[in-house]
Amino acid sequence: MEQNSARPYDDDIARKFVAATVLWGVVGMLVGVIIALQLAWWPANLGLPWTTFGRLRPLHTNAVIFAFSANAVFAGIYYSLQRLLRTRMFNDTLSRFHFWGWQSIIVLAAVTLPLGLTSGKEYAELIWPVDLLIAVVWVAFAVNFFGTIAIRKVRHLYVAIWFYMSMVITITVLHVTNSLAVPVSFTKAYSIYPGITDGLVQWWYGHNAVGFLLTTPFLGMMYYFLPKAAERPVYSYRLSVIHFWALVFLYIWAGPHHLLYSALPDWAQTLGMVFSIILIAPSWGGMLNGLLTLRGAWDRLRTDAILKFFVVGITFYGMSTFEGPMMSIRAVNALSHYTDWTIGHVHSGALGWVGMVTFGMLYWMVPRLWDRPLYSPNAMITHFWLATIGIVLYVVAMWTAGITQGLMWRAIDESTGLLQYPNFMETVLRLMPFYWIRLLGGTMYLTGAVMMGWNFIKTANSPALVPATRS
Amino acid sequence: MSGRETNRVLGHAADADGIEEYDNPLPAWWLGLFYFTIGWGLVYLVDYHFVSGRSQAGYYAAELADADVRWPQKVVTAKVGDADAIGRGAQIYSQNCIGCHGPELKGGIGPDLTDGTWIHGGSAADVTRVVTEGVPAKGMVSWGPILGAEKIADVAAFVLSRGP
Repeated sequence: MEQNSARPYDDDIARKFVAATVLWGVVGMLVGVIIALQLAWWPANLGLPWTTFGRLRPLHTNAVIFAFSANAVFAGIYYSLQRLLRTRMFNDTLSRFHFWGWQSIIVLAAVTLPLGLTSGKEYAELIWPVDLLIAVVWVAFAVNFFGTIAIRKVRHLYVAIWFYMSMVITITVLHVTNSLAVPVSFTKAYSIYPGITDGLVQWWYGHNAVGFLLTTPFLGMMYYFLPKAAERPVYSYRLSVIHFWALVFLYIWAGPHHLLYSALPDWAQTLGMVFSIILIAPSWGGMLNGLLTLRGAWDRLRTDAILKFFVVGITFYGMSTFEGPMMSIRAVNALSHYTDWTIGHVHSGALGWVGMVTFGMLYWMVPRLWDRPLYSPNAMITHFWLATIGIVLYVVAMWTAGITQGLMWRAIDESTGLLQYPNFMETVLRLMPFYWIRLLGGTMYLTGAVMMGWNFIKTANSPALVPATRS
Repeated sequence: MSGRETNRVLGHAADADGIEEYDNPLPAWWLGLFYFTIGWGLVYLVDYHFVSGRSQAGYYAAELADADVRWPQKVVTAKVGDADAIGRGAQIYSQNCIGCHGPELKGGIGPDLTDGTWIHGGSAADVTRVVTEGVPAKGMVSWGPILGAEKIADVAAFVLSRGP
């Protein structure tokens, strides 16, 4: 560490977040594989309350969103922000508080959710004392983040930083507003919003957690790590300005598309649908700027696995940001809602976009953070193919299952006017083959992530390069 | 993409850790797509709420009205004592009712159907109605949309044949 103190940047904090990303990524994906098995083979629930699907499913979503993805975002930000602003972080103690505070929140989630302690709000399940801790840690991060911008040694703020800023500000507002509740005991609180208002606030939060935790910071990381890895200029500065503002303005309105055909007033449902459709182009602006940045570097895609991860990630981003608006059209939603199609959609975003961009970024950062070449480039290529084939199996299985399920639920016997499949079990049994395929795809994806963890441990433990040979 | 690309760098690299940005224009088709979705959204919104006057409650009413025309509601009262109906009813009972009312109709989750006590009325019309509408407050589903009037008449005949 002596050698590092001479460097201007705090890379230790980025290394910590990289390690946490890999660890929690493997844990979150493992829980995902377990609950996929439970859907295909019920004895895997083990007959214990703590291990049933209903408790492990929020553990999986929280682990993957707030442990894997958020740690990846923090790793990417701590690495790129200091370099883009040519300054060390504003305050190293705040950075450590952020790291250890965030990991404690994750551990608390891993304890409370299996115990059945939940607020009952999807993707905001954590109970009120943990919500308070999240707010404190997040604000500490925000102070450190904006403090670093304040002491920057450059004039211009690069596009990646706008995207990071949109996350820091919006997540604060979303988390605080959606978590407002009246505690009745240390583990139980009631939301301050009544009925459908609560539903609307919840999905305003839920949709924008996807927008501002899993989309904008990842676009920011794409804007930093992709041109770095491709060694090419970004395709269009103007496109980045326009699609940034369009995206952050429009995203915040689209939440009601989660509540189509509910007690929500028709006009609010229409707004959610219309803003979702208008979001296609701003989302695709990010995809275009990413893919067009690779013009002139496409030949490198054959050999450069990091670029492969980015290209597959960006392609899945483009696909799921088209699929999402289509699913928010009333007529499509009538078929897709409550089916496994939704599960397929979120996983093309989570495994495809968030996962692949994270892997590409980690493979690029780790050799630089640890001053060592990657231990096994071959294992990285294997990881890429396992992950890509795993996603395709997962998503195709869930599309097929979801559409099958939706069509069976609505099928009416033309001669009698009665439901053709009145027994819910008939639809469940029909989906079983797809649940097994999903398990296979998810297991492949997890195996790739475990290989990456092994590769990084081997890298960190291999001999260091002499500093003069660093690029 | 198009001939309008300048591929002229803006010179931000010193402020962006060496990353350059081109001064390229917005792709025309992308901008066209953006304007099209905005226009489509406005047209849809105005049409839905102010021109066609559509609504969720309206869809529901229209579907129900349509169903009433295509499949007029029938009320078939149980043919009490009809051996054929009782035979078919036994089959329907074993497939649908056995889980709650038990193989011998002695009850379980649902009440005993053989003890002569009819909580919701014991006439043929009462039993038919209870099966059709269910007792949602106590967890019995409405079997009307699932079994249809004919099958409900058969199962009611079977249940009544097993009473005291």
